[in-house]
Amino acid sequence: MDNEKFIKKAKNELKEAYDYDSEDPLFGLAKEDISGDRLSRRTTLRLLAAGGALTLANVLPGLRPSVAFAGGHGGGELKCAWSGVGEIVTLDPAKINQVLQFQIASNVLSGLMHIDNSLVAQGDLAESWTVSSDGLNYTIKLKEGVTFHNGDMFNADDVLFTFNRSKDPEQSIHSRVISNVKELQKLNDYEVKFTLSKPQASFLTKALERASGRAMTIVSQGALDSMGAAQYGLTPVGTGPYKIVEHKQGGSVVLERFAEYYDPGRPKLDKITITPVDGAEPLAAALEAGDVQYVGGNPIPSQLIDRFKSNSNLKVDIKPGPGFQSIWLNPWRDYMRVDSFDKPLDELKKEKGFQVRLAIAKALDRDLFIKQAKFGNGYPAHGSINPAMGFYFDEDLANVSEQAYDPEGARELLAQAGYPGGKGFPEIKLQTTPNTKRDGLVVANILKQVLGINVIVDPKDFSVGIEEFDTMDYDLRLGGSGGDYDPDDGLVDWMQTNSKFNGRKRDKSKYPFGFYSEAESDAAADAQSLVADPQERRELVRKANRITSDKVTCGFLYHPVDVLVHHKSVQVPEEARIPGLHELDRISLA
Amino acid sequence: MMSNHADQDNERRPAKFLAITRINDVMQADKKAKVGLVILFIFLLTAIFAPFLAPYDPNEMTLDMMSAPSYQHILGTDDLGRDLFSRIIWGTQVSLFVGFVTVAIALIVGVFLGVWAGYYGGWIDMIIMRYIDLQWAFPNFIIAVYLVAVFGTGLLNIIVAISLAFLDDFARVARSMVLSLKEQPFIEAARVQGTSDFRIMFKHILPNAMGPIIVQASVSISYAILGEASLSFLGLGVNVNTPTWGLILADGRSFISQAWWLGVFPGLAIMLVVLSINFIGDAVRDAFDVRDSGI
Amino acid sequence: MSGYILRRIFGALLVMMAVATLVFFMLRLVPGDPIAAMLADAGSDEARDALTKKFGFDQPVIVQYFKWLLNLLQGDLGTSLYGSNQSVTNILYEALPRTLSLAGLSFFIAIAIALPAGIISAIKKNSAADNTVSVFAFLGLSMPDFWLAILLIIVFAANLQWLPAIGYVPLSSGFWEWLRHLILPSIAIGTGFSAIIARMVRSSLLGELKSDYMRTAAAKGLSPSSMVVVHALPNAMLPVVTVLGIAIALLISGAVVVENVFSIKGLGRVLIQGILNRDYPVVQGAVLLISAFFVFANLMVDLLYAVIDPRVRYE
Repeated sequence: MDNEKFIKKAKNELKEAYDYDSEDPLFGLAKEDISGDRLSRRTTLRLLAAGGALTLANVLPGLRPSVAFAGGHGGGELKCAWSGVGEIVTLDPAKINQVLQFQIASNVLSGLMHIDNSLVAQGDLAESWTVSSDGLNYTIKLKEGVTFHNGDMFNADDVLFTFNRSKDPEQSIHSRVISNVKELQKLNDYEVKFTLSKPQASFLTKALERASGRAMTIVSQGALDSMGAAQYGLTPVGTGPYKIVEHKQGGSVVLERFAEYYDPGRPKLDKITITPVDGAEPLAAALEAGDVQYVGGNPIPSQLIDRFKSNSNLKVDIKPGPGFQSIWLNPWRDYMRVDSFDKPLDELKKEKGFQVRLAIAKALDRDLFIKQAKFGNGYPAHGSINPAMGFYFDEDLANVSEQAYDPEGARELLAQAGYPGGKGFPEIKLQTTPNTKRDGLVVANILKQVLGINVIVDPKDFSVGIEEFDTMDYDLRLGGSGGDYDPDDGLVDWMQTNSKFNGRKRDKSKYPFGFYSEAESDAAADAQSLVADPQERRELVRKANRITSDKVTCGFLYHPVDVLVHHKSVQVPEEARIPGLHELDRISLA
Repeated sequence: MMSNHADQDNERRPAKFLAITRINDVMQADKKAKVGLVILFIFLLTAIFAPFLAPYDPNEMTLDMMSAPSYQHILGTDDLGRDLFSRIIWGTQVSLFVGFVTVAIALIVGVFLGVWAGYYGGWIDMIIMRYIDLQWAFPNFIIAVYLVAVFGTGLLNIIVAISLAFLDDFARVARSMVLSLKEQPFIEAARVQGTSDFRIMFKHILPNAMGPIIVQASVSISYAILGEASLSFLGLGVNVNTPTWGLILADGRSFISQAWWLGVFPGLAIMLVVLSINFIGDAVRDAFDVRDSGI
Repeated sequence: MSGYILRRIFGALLVMMAVATLVFFMLRLVPGDPIAAMLADAGSDEARDALTKKFGFDQPVIVQYFKWLLNLLQGDLGTSLYGSNQSVTNILYEALPRTLSLAGLSFFIAIAIALPAGIISAIKKNSAADNTVSVFAFLGLSMPDFWLAILLIIVFAANLQWLPAIGYVPLSSGFWEWLRHLILPSIAIGTGFSAIIARMVRSSLLGELKSDYMRTAAAKGLSPSSMVVVHALPNAMLPVVTVLGIAIALLISGAVVVENVFSIKGLGRVLIQGILNRDYPVVQGAVLLISAFFVFANLMVDLLYAVIDPRVRYE
């Protein structure tokens, strides 16, 4: 079938897909549609559209030639490089604090839920689930006949064990993720019930998700008891598609196909070797020499992307990444002081401190930044909701936000604040991590060019930097979030008065709030968290996003891209392409 | 152990010119030393006149990123479109400043401690020597790395760290010289005449001990310059807004296969400066005939 | 003699003890919160409190010190604050063979270059060969090891693709694989080292060749080559041994930097990463081991010197 015919057929199919409405893909979806053993085709389509990931391939599975893979176990060995890291420090879900760690662990351990490539939660060890109408009770039926790599059978006790381990802050660093769970009950060997303190729209995708949640990624009690927590951190045992056969500190992780995996169609490969590769040059050398065929781990250094694109042996796939990076502005510094954001925007704009903040945000030439710092790979950001969230992403924001790049306006504001051409403005520090130093230099250069102010880049090790961020002891800080799959990740974690990063350890008598506090956006962000109706939720998300953008919670800079690079011989189907993750069980070799 | 070179003949000449005269004699004869002096002098001038010599602002970014050496940019541009030649010129300042200042500090403090300990002996000597022994348990560079880790990065901290790391070498050399000199007749004579201890230590003993100390200084300067470059390279350097050779190399490392010039020229600059100091140091060593003391 | 050896060993142990104390207390001055590093951005306040308690950071420093010392004497260096809390002893145990392999091969390369070069330039003093050796020795001395490492990567890894640019493979995976990964870093470290040794061999051998007994040997009609190898060289090695201490310091410092260029997780990289992560126990362990290695190496050099040179007084 040629392409044109194919697209035409797909479009027809889309039109006829029940009451599909491209403007409002989730209209009319009831709770029953989302609960259940699997989502109906109609629901799936709408969720896909809502996620912004509705592609022709989803509509006509199997019809599109390039995604037509033979199912089942194809065998072979895949060699992967894990970029930007010298070692995989831990794979224990209770200890994982880097994306590149859960990218591996997610192939070894299962969760109750797992997001698909449209960032929608699907059952993993959960066979089916129902949600009570008040949104407080989640009853989950577990898959039967699932075994751990060590031969132990999986049942409700493992869910309880994992829950109790994750709840204990001494054993797990993710106890907060499930702090909203009031109680977990075992109904029978294959059924459990979560009771929440308050409704949480993101419960399935945030708390129960195996990769990004990490609190309910099922661990093996038997293996933990027999090998101890330190060894379990290197070679965890789970129920996932691959088992770890070798992993020494600082060495490669070797995975082997787990023959008893619950889905007989997966995994497709026999063996996977994951080697940590630190540094851009060694990564390029390893890939170009064919020593590795697939790259995971930290984002691929931007300067290599064009180089890989021009290599005919490699395939480069670029998608919006789930995250944002910003310039955080400390409102307690005199020259950009704002004592309260709870005022109409027009009034705020008359305050000198706010004028400086807005001037800095407006001066951010995001296109230039992306060209220079990211070699063209990235999307300009004006809010914390990222384009990977599709349905929730607000494309208009770039045009309507107060923060939109406007050098003239920025200079004018700075002059109004009493610093014409940057004269009299103090020399300020922009804190970065050692890894984002280069980005910081580009930002400093832009601020110098546009506003004439001197910004000194000050890279600090993460532990020092985050301490200063938490105690509000910085001028500017370059930072942000990754792995944001749900609007909660962008709004609740970052944009609210009580957000976990909002001056958590500040001296509360001196600073009533951290970097930002505003009642209206707080309310909208709270509300969206509780609303189950996606359309209504989107409106609330949009509202919170726009307020926080206009009132300069921070100067939003860019959304990263998610880049997948692999050898041509590696087949990566669309459903394996989840931004920020690597679904190694769905990958095969030609 | 260093030997005493203050023979009878030299004693009648004013002691403070002794060392310089001897260095001067050897420099005149040594071709390497002349080459070294010329190179070092060029770098010194470069450091002083950097603002006039650099064709571009070393921090000015353009979208002309990683362009090869050309007429506009004789050493090419870096990954942020900054002129590499201008950055290396400015880098001379930090490199030489850190190299000379740290050794000057280490020399003054170390020699003072060493002379004090050697002259008085007793518990002062004990404490100072135990401290020196403690430092002796680490390679100098490891001390510097550790101190930067404790104090943090930045120009001042780097200078403190490297000075402290080299301090024990000077104290050790000075102390052993004092021990061998303090029983000499001319010191006895001064003591009998009622000269103060301070005067004896710094007017009579020290000038006669300058030889090995100068040799030690010439060795230390080259290691201090290499040390600063290594610290910058490891990300424990001055700061990222000031171009230094180690930093340029560290930053360029991720781009070397697309822009080899980023990996070659800054290192060449480090090597030339260190080489010139080694040439000079070699001649200084010949002057004082202390070949066996090491490097 | 044995009393001298015992005294030296006891002295070295005392120094190590002082080093341990110094390292423990100085590290408490480091800015930054180790618990923050552990949690990255994932932590809640409860998790923070729980971990602080677990690692005993809530106790007075002096209590932490004595606990640590007591454990140290039992060979327990604590656990890493990071990841899944591997024991520090274990981390160092994994790192040590990497650094030893690297140091050993660097040493081998250095000696293999330095000895012949030094001997030739001493015998053929002021010849073209001597001048060449001299020039290379100066270059080797002046070249920063990390720069040489980068140049080697540009040429042999990035362009020619003969040798890998990073990583370490244990000897158990095959000799060639092991060697292949170590060649470039070892050259980077060994070059400066060989320059020092070559210069030392040359000047020391020149001194011996001028001495009376050599003239006597020549008068007796011994062949020049046997004169050098049998008589002059062994004597000339004495001063060379004394500079080994300095050279070993360079070797260790070189390993710290070069391991970081080649991503080899030896002691140097463990140390630098520990510093960046504020991983107190790991930094303490690494510094202790590095200085123990250094103190021990110097002790061996001194004892070796005492054995081969009867003139040394055993005071």
